[in-house]
This record gives sequence, structure tokens and C-alpha cells, in this order.
Amino acid sequence: MNPPPDPLDHLLNRWSETPEPPGRLTQEVWQRIALAEGAAAKPLRWGTVVEAWFARPPFAVMFVATCAVIGLFLAEVRVNHLQRERNEQLARSYLQLIDPLLTVQQETSRP
Amino acid sequence: MRHAIFIPLLGVVVGLAAHFAYFRLNEPAATDSLDGQLAWMKTELQLTDLQYARIKELHQASSPRLRAMAVQVAQLQAEFAEFEKIRRTSDRVDFLEFARFVETRRLISRECIDSTRQLVQAAAGIMTEPQRRRYIQLVAAAEPHAESLLN
Repeated sequence: MNPPPDPLDHLLNRWSETPEPPGRLTQEVWQRIALAEGAAAKPLRWGTVVEAWFARPPFAVMFVATCAVIGLFLAEVRVNHLQRERNEQLARSYLQLIDPLLTVQQETSRP
Repeated sequence: MRHAIFIPLLGVVVGLAAHFAYFRLNEPAATDSLDGQLAWMKTELQLTDLQYARIKELHQASSPRLRAMAVQVAQLQAEFAEFEKIRRTSDRVDFLEFARFVETRRLISRECIDSTRQLVQAAAGIMTEPQRRRYIQLVAAAEPHAESLLN
């Protein structure tokens, strides 16, 4: 039992005469491949990379939040340092207040 | 390049704002008066209101006496300076006067140390053990011989 004739067979029979490819086809193909690979391997510019990172909202938010945390940390360090200095100064003043010998010593050493 | 400039700039502004706002809010205040120093002690030693009131009372009660003693010490120092000046210019030493001066100075110094010791001991007596330790530590940070006041 033969299968029914397919309309595609007729078209395929017509396509049997394929034209010859142009002589430079292979060369052009390789040239295009080389160009595409060259473009992919080309290093991105530093500014472009930075811009790409900062353009991402999660990175930008994290960056700003990190800056705020660093600012707070440095302020805390500064406050602690100042607090320590003030404590020493207050302890000194307190001792001068309760010790007359130190009071006089301090007054005479003042310019 | 818009993001690469704007976001770091924003970060710096936010960081600085956070820094100065926090510093301004937590900056310790400077004080030189007795009340200010006692208030500092209250915070530093975590004194209760009752302890603070008693310690304040003690300091206020002894303050005029301590001030009077400081005046006496200053007078003695001035006398000593005068005595030294005479000795240097006239090359003359009144040994009796000098002995009297040394004795007076010794007595006043002793009296000053005793008064300070009494005050520190009385204040420490109102405090709990950890507060007392911290109190001596604070006073010793400014004056290395302070610990001897409690001995």
C-alpha cells in the first residue's frame, strides 16, 4: 500500500537545483566570527562597570546604607573618645574641688 | 555616568549627616561647677536619688571649709615666695621665722589631706561596693595618689 502523495515532495524536487555559493563565502563567514569574538573579548571600561553597579537599585541602597553606618560608627568612636577625655577632666576638677592642696597647685600653675 | 556620581555623593552626604546628628545628640556636656560635677558623678556611678542627695549634701557642707583651707594654702605659698625673695635679695635667713612657716605649712597640709580623706570616705560610705570601686577608679585616674585617701 503506497502512502498518499505529499505536496512537499513536488517542492523538494524543484529545489534540487541549488545555486553555487559565492567564492568568498567561507572567508566572509570566518571574518564575521572573528569580529564577533573580538567584540566579546574586548575589556569593558572602568567607568562603565562602576556605572553599571550603581545603576542597580539594591547595590545603590546598600552603598548609601553602608555610608550611614560608617558615619554612625565614626561618630560613636568620637563620642567615646570625648567622653573619656571629659571623664578624666571632670575627675581632675572634682579632685581639685575636694582637695585644697590641688586647688592651689592648679591655680599657681595657670599662666 | 549619572549613577556613578550621584549615588556616591548621596552616600557621603547621608554618612556625614548621620555622623553629625549622632555626635550632636550624644556629645558630652562640659561643666566646671560643683553641681555639674556631682551630676556627672550621679550618671557615672549610677547613684540613686537618695545617694545623690546625701553626697551632694556632704560636698556642699564641706565646700566652704575646703575653700577656706585653699585660701590658707595660697596665703602660705605667697608668704613662702616672699620669704624666698628676701633670702635671695638680702642673703639673710630668719631661721625662726622659717621654722614657724614650715610647721604651719605642715599642719595645714595635714589638715587638708585629712579633710579630703574624710569627705572621700564619707562619700564612699554612702555608695555600694561597685560604686565605691568605680569612684576610687575615677578619682585615681586624675590623681594617682587618690587611692591612698581611702587607706
